[in-house]
Amino acid sequence: MFDLDQAIANWREQMLAAGIKTPVPLEELESHLREEIERKVKAGANQQEAFTSAVQKLGSAQVVRAEFEKADETHEARKWKLTNAFLMVFTIVLPLFMSVIVINRASVIDMTATQELSSLAAMAVFFSLAWAGRLSQGIFPVIANRRIRDAISALGSLLLAVWWIVFMRLIVPRHDFVMSQFLVAFVWAFFLPAGMWVGWLWGMEAAARRKFVPVGV
Amino acid sequence: MYRAAMISKELVAASTEPLILSLLAGGESYGYALTQEVKRLSGDKIEWTDGMLYPVLHRMEHRGLIKSRWGESETGRKRKYYSLKKSGKKAMATHHEQWSLVHSVLAGLKKEQCV
Repeated sequence: MFDLDQAIANWREQMLAAGIKTPVPLEELESHLREEIERKVKAGANQQEAFTSAVQKLGSAQVVRAEFEKADETHEARKWKLTNAFLMVFTIVLPLFMSVIVINRASVIDMTATQELSSLAAMAVFFSLAWAGRLSQGIFPVIANRRIRDAISALGSLLLAVWWIVFMRLIVPRHDFVMSQFLVAFVWAFFLPAGMWVGWLWGMEAAARRKFVPVGV
Repeated sequence: MYRAAMISKELVAASTEPLILSLLAGGESYGYALTQEVKRLSGDKIEWTDGMLYPVLHRMEHRGLIKSRWGESETGRKRKYYSLKKSGKKAMATHHEQWSLVHSVLAGLKKEQCV
């Protein structure tokens, strides 16, 4: 005796095995499958026939997955465009903003010309490192697996955060910085590693997408 | 009896989005109903491979043309309903304009050949 629910459960297994992991499309496909079977049965087919032809019409698991991947890729491409634009603005606006603060504050906190120049240099270094990463994406390793990239990003961000905390909590209290000295130390401690980090991230993400060609309908 | 051939794969692919948008302009609907509707309206000449429709719907949702919600059918089965968003209406208008243009050019050329 043909068991429709069992047959659909097996079909779900096949789709999962082919890599349609997210439950949402699978739920939707199953709902479609059941409607088609219902219609065919009403029209006089037996359940087994209806099931077989409905599954066939839906397309093989591989084909369906490939189509979903295309849809996800275009989504990914859009997200990447936004991230890219954000990084471009961020790496220009942030150092500019900090430079304006330094220039404005320089006389108030008695910065020497060297200190002021050094702070501005830190901003320039931040900007250069970030953009060097982006522009030299060709020499970055292509890490196709997004999870690995995400793990690297998370680990790097964590290290950066730890360094900033160490700097503020352990290093700064051990020195008798006057305000102007503190500012110089602060901008270097914050922006040099941040520039390296943004540059690495940018280059790594750009490299992973270099071979990517968006697919149309 | 003469029977017009099925629409080619490429043409089906190109027309999927405008058709979905236009179908949804008539109110919210779900995947299965969309395939049935398009089959009926085209006199069985346009047949979407069922599995292809959902990725297209998802892509259109990602792009902000349509939105979706889970609901229930009359028999209590789960169903994902789609409806048009504002930018979807705009996209539909653009599609209509472009398809009309192609159509009018074709029609004009055909007329010239007949004369």
